[in-house]
Amino acid sequence: MSVTSLTLILLIIMIAAFVLSSIKLKSPDISMVVAAVVIAIVGTFMFPDLGNPTRYLVEGLFVNLDLAMLFIAASLFVNIYAHSGAISTITRGIVEKIHNKWLLMSIMGVLMLIPGALTGAGSVSIFVLGGIVDTVLESLGINKRKRTVFIFFFAIMSAAAPPINLWTMLMTAQANMPYVGFTWLLLVPILIACAICIIFIGWGAEPKDREEVLKKIPEKTEGMTWWRILLPVVTIVALFLVSLYLPWNIPVLGLPLMFVIAALVAYLCNPVKTTGKQWLGILDGTMEQVFPLVANVLSIGVLQSAMAATGVRGLIGSTCVGLPLVLIYSLILIVGPICQGCFNYGCSVVLGGPLIFMFNTMGMDVTVICAALSLIFPIGDCLPPSRIVGRLACEETGYSDSYMSFLKTALVPILAIGLIAVLMIVKPIWFTFLY
Amino acid sequence: MENTKKRLIIKIVILVIALAIAAVAAVDFWTLRHYKEKIVTSPYLTEVKWFSDYVPSLKNTWLDTPVFIFDSGVEGGTVFLNGCPHPYEPASTMAAYLMIENIEVEKGKVIIVPRCNFSGSTEGMAGDAYPMFFSVETEWGEEKYKIGDRYTNPLDQWPDPFTYVNYPSGQNLAYQDIRNLNRTYPGRENGTISERAAYAVMEIIRQENVDIAIDMHEAEILYPVTSTYVAPAKVLDREHFLETGEMVYVEPEESSLDIAMMAAMNIDQFLMKCSASPNTLHGLSHREWADWSDALTFLMETPEIFIDKITGPRTEDLMYTGSDEFLQRVTDKGLTYFPYEMEFGTPMWYRVGRHLSGAMEIINWASLFYPEKECIVSWPLYEDMEEIENQGIDSVGYFLKNPNAPENKDNVFTVYYKPVDNN
Repeated sequence: MSVTSLTLILLIIMIAAFVLSSIKLKSPDISMVVAAVVIAIVGTFMFPDLGNPTRYLVEGLFVNLDLAMLFIAASLFVNIYAHSGAISTITRGIVEKIHNKWLLMSIMGVLMLIPGALTGAGSVSIFVLGGIVDTVLESLGINKRKRTVFIFFFAIMSAAAPPINLWTMLMTAQANMPYVGFTWLLLVPILIACAICIIFIGWGAEPKDREEVLKKIPEKTEGMTWWRILLPVVTIVALFLVSLYLPWNIPVLGLPLMFVIAALVAYLCNPVKTTGKQWLGILDGTMEQVFPLVANVLSIGVLQSAMAATGVRGLIGSTCVGLPLVLIYSLILIVGPICQGCFNYGCSVVLGGPLIFMFNTMGMDVTVICAALSLIFPIGDCLPPSRIVGRLACEETGYSDSYMSFLKTALVPILAIGLIAVLMIVKPIWFTFLY
Repeated sequence: MENTKKRLIIKIVILVIALAIAAVAAVDFWTLRHYKEKIVTSPYLTEVKWFSDYVPSLKNTWLDTPVFIFDSGVEGGTVFLNGCPHPYEPASTMAAYLMIENIEVEKGKVIIVPRCNFSGSTEGMAGDAYPMFFSVETEWGEEKYKIGDRYTNPLDQWPDPFTYVNYPSGQNLAYQDIRNLNRTYPGRENGTISERAAYAVMEIIRQENVDIAIDMHEAEILYPVTSTYVAPAKVLDREHFLETGEMVYVEPEESSLDIAMMAAMNIDQFLMKCSASPNTLHGLSHREWADWSDALTFLMETPEIFIDKITGPRTEDLMYTGSDEFLQRVTDKGLTYFPYEMEFGTPMWYRVGRHLSGAMEIINWASLFYPEKECIVSWPLYEDMEEIENQGIDSVGYFLKNPNAPENKDNVFTVYYKPVDNN
């Protein structure tokens, strides 16, 4: 049998193992590991030269270890900062002072973009700000379904927003491309889509009484001052700037340590009396919060390794490279999100990497295309089996009606970002001015 | 209660299994990390130095590595050959080993570094499932050689920054490139360990007055610069930069690119293209060596399909033969930059032979262009290897010398990050 036939059988086995495991265990992360182990074992029988798969499966765990540490450190920073009352104080101040519906929605949107942009995980935005944003939007007379869509959409856009876009990072790392030049390429389409989302959600809504709203937002934390609010943020920004502009004057800190330093500053700036047990609770809560994401990126590494070793990655990649462009243009907006729903960040490896190779071979601007794919993949965070962000958004607002009607409502902003991204893929040259 | 106990047992069982798997993998990791390759140096060897002789802070680090010097004692040009800047491109190291074992120098001096990024050769490419070793058939049995990573091992340099800023150009590169030896030139004496190794290479070129510096690499066939010489058309005006900080590029007095073009045209056994080094892409040898020394600099790329990623199963055989169905299909669609034929593949001997002949062609043409840089040197060439292959013998193994043979015992050298045995 040819290598193509054997790897095709392996691909089918991999999909079957993943689907069966997902049904049984309800976890895409564990299912990815199960699929990886299954094809590694079967692959060894098909290609005995591969030898013992243990080494490369374990090696896979280290592929995204830095990302996992970044998740943990950044989430720790955000949670300690939120615990100090800084975020609710900012929100309260904004609601008290700003009376324009559109401006208020825009500010809520921008605030939601920040935690996800810093951590690469949209779920962190929901954990930190979801409740407050829901309250503010409710005060503006927006119904529950639309509030859920707003929170979901800004959460997925926050994950895609720079500086930390994990899909881009994973794809660039695979293709040996620098993770450079993506700031405006990601930010401009995101801001356009977010503006469309705000108009769509806010259209026709009648604001409620402001005092009622303020009652629902936590009181300003006693002892909270502007410097306490600003110092942790200034610290992380300063560390970013120093690393970028004075890189030869300081040791390499790495993003996880930078966030740990900022978390320490946030801890020192915290005016809330907090016991050791409460701090431990925050640490524990943070780990609980980021555990699914950590599990996800580590599992992806294992699957990536097994797919590479057995030739399944080669099969998908070499097939994708030869696909007609029209087919890719017309299907990417469907296949990309479905792949994300199945593999989460793993779609960057399963689908993103091969597509980047293909477009690179054709001489197209892969920086723009990589950014575009990174805007399409997050859409799948509302799709089964994982639907992590969609599920979290529903839980945050208490939305319990049909999930399908939520998806239908979300279609408008999703199409906005999706169509921009497809345009970026079809005509990358038009967007090169953004980097 | 029953349920809790059951869950606890399941957790313990999973933990034990995980630890057992980790232990099995750890043995492999340890083996690769501490594997020592033995070579038999040519009688023309005059001195072995180390990177730490040029940058003392590298002593006892995994970025220290041996530097083999073959000095004829006859005044002539000095040639520097760099192997294994990217350990996952193993033909570069094998070419360096074959040179070290078989070299004869009649005029001038030759300096060879076979494992430039030693640290990178002590781990695999995480996520790419490279085999740890490949074997070469020899008269006395199989010899095993390491395949490593593209980058310095994180055990030796970690963490990475969120973006890497190359010194002194200030250019932003991918974060992991801070551990990529061919992005960290010209290096910093007090920088990261990779930057210090890069600085050691620059110091070799400067202190040993190298005239011709050749960096040996391998590249994917989906990459336009595969099967190519890369040399600078222009070089940095160093004085102007040091005075003003402005990077201005000028025509060099002596042109590497002309030599590379002549060499590429003259090679008829295999396809060799020629490309000018971009002025704006920093950290690479063909750019920075030329900018920060007076040497004529060249980079050579052979076609290596493993790097293409979209190959079939990643076996040792694939690394050694380079025969792959998927890449044939991609080539048939006109998407590769190399006339790939899977029946022939890109075997190790072919890639090693290309480096051997490619370097020789550069040395010969440089001697013709600039007679004062003449270096008369010999080692097996592509055609010699082809002849041996035609007899059904592994030509890489054929030109290796037996480290266990009594007649070679005085010339055996163990390649490691520090001297071992009788080194």
